[in-house]
Amino acid sequence: MKKKKMIISSQTMELDVVRKVEALSGTSVRRCFQCGKCSAGCPMATFMEHPPNRIVRLLQLGQWQRILAGRSIWYCASCETCSTRCPNKVHLASIMDALRKLSWDAEGPSKESYVQLANRLFLENIRSYGRQYEMRLAAVFNVKSGQFLKDLMLGPKLISKGKLKMFHQKNRNMAEIEKIFSRIEEMRKKGEAL
Amino acid sequence: MDKTLNYAYYPGCSLHASAGEYDLSTRELFNLLGVGLTEVPDWFCCGATPAHNVDELLSLSLCAKNLELAEQVDGDVAVACAACFSRLKFTQHTLLEDETKRRQVEKAIDAPARLDGKVKHLLEILARDIGLERLASAVSKPLSGVKVACYYGCLLTRPPDVPNLDCVEAPTIMERVVEAAGAETVPWSHRMECCGANFTLSRPGVVIQLSNAILDSAKSSGADCVVVACPLCHGNLDMRQKEIEGVYNAEYGLPVFYITQLLAVACGAGAEKSGLGALMVDPFPLLKVKNIL
Ligand code: SF4
Ligand code: SF4
Repeated sequence: MKKKKMIISSQTMELDVVRKVEALSGTSVRRCFQCGKCSAGCPMATFMEHPPNRIVRLLQLGQWQRILAGRSIWYCASCETCSTRCPNKVHLASIMDALRKLSWDAEGPSKESYVQLANRLFLENIRSYGRQYEMRLAAVFNVKSGQFLKDLMLGPKLISKGKLKMFHQKNRNMAEIEKIFSRIEEMRKKGEAL
Repeated sequence: MDKTLNYAYYPGCSLHASAGEYDLSTRELFNLLGVGLTEVPDWFCCGATPAHNVDELLSLSLCAKNLELAEQVDGDVAVACAACFSRLKFTQHTLLEDETKRRQVEKAIDAPARLDGKVKHLLEILARDIGLERLASAVSKPLSGVKVACYYGCLLTRPPDVPNLDCVEAPTIMERVVEAAGAETVPWSHRMECCGANFTLSRPGVVIQLSNAILDSAKSSGADCVVVACPLCHGNLDMRQKEIEGVYNAEYGLPVFYITQLLAVACGAGAEKSGLGALMVDPFPLLKVKNIL
């Protein structure tokens, strides 16, 4: 019998997006043979329109637009179960990171905005204060997402338990942190990093 | 007193805010055990999940810089938060494996990446460096009769070759530490399942569903309480427990301790220095019934 070549490997694998995902994640989507173990153990699969194994399949088929248009990647909890159990050492959790980055950079068309908003505020806090202050993070998130009353009942209890700090501690490394952010931006502008 | 054992302590953001009791009990426990803990000066956020979620290079760079800061203190790096631990270990692992990423990170932090320093979670310091025997001999109030469900969550052991804390799918390190303090541990199904982690801010509904399954499993295994080693897990299981009970019409009433709180109590630190008052699910009835407090 004549050996058939897999069509997916010759054409779609050369796609820019697939190559970027492989470079960012340090893993090859070619290695996946669709056993489904990743999805079987994924705690978030029920919240996704494409479970993890299908994400890899869509990449193999070059249909990355379908992934980026959906909410699946934003519902991944980064629990590392998929990467742990894959018999072919596909680092699916890292593939998820790479896909989110591409969507993020493209200010992607994903419908999942709450998770992205939370991520953005978190990163802005690092740049402005050096550390996270959960109270501020939650308050700003609620205002910006229009859910003013979210978790309202938790607030007073948390304050009485001393769990929420309102004030920032000074960090002597603020200038250094800013430099890290700006050096990365510069590298990207020059095309030295993805 | 073991003056030779000293660690560069990286508490992480949560321990300076919502997880203050984890910080307090860690310092107290190490004090009682006579082990040095020196906070890394002006450490900053490791980037946690949000950074690597959308910008791995930023995540690696923030961690690499923190590892460099930690060099100012003698000793291995001691990390309390499972998420910080995971990020710091991931950084060392990735930069050792990937030459391109290492060069980019070194450019971002404008320094060579320090990848040889040991990064340890508190659990391995307790179980291996200090050792179970020494731990057991420091116990003055054994936790006899307390049935504990040890909850690992995601990041303490996964993925293979990164944290290298214990067996990736069936660890026992937490059980061994808890048993050294005289408690009983229960076998249960959800030790390694995800609690929903940082969706607590963006999608609390997810957390409520996943954390309910964990509490339900712990309860039906006959446990009196849950022990964790991560501020995110703690927030979801303790802070949201009442809300979860409401949604699922369930009654768990399971106190959720940080591992260091339970050990500090066993070593005679008392309620205040173990930060028990900060817990949302009241742990006092259990500890009184068992004659520990
Ligand atoms: S576990 Fe690995 S090989 Fe199996 S479907 Fe998932 S990614 Fe593919
Ligand atoms: S890392 Fe993401 S995709 Fe993988 S099992 Fe966990 S939630 Fe699912």
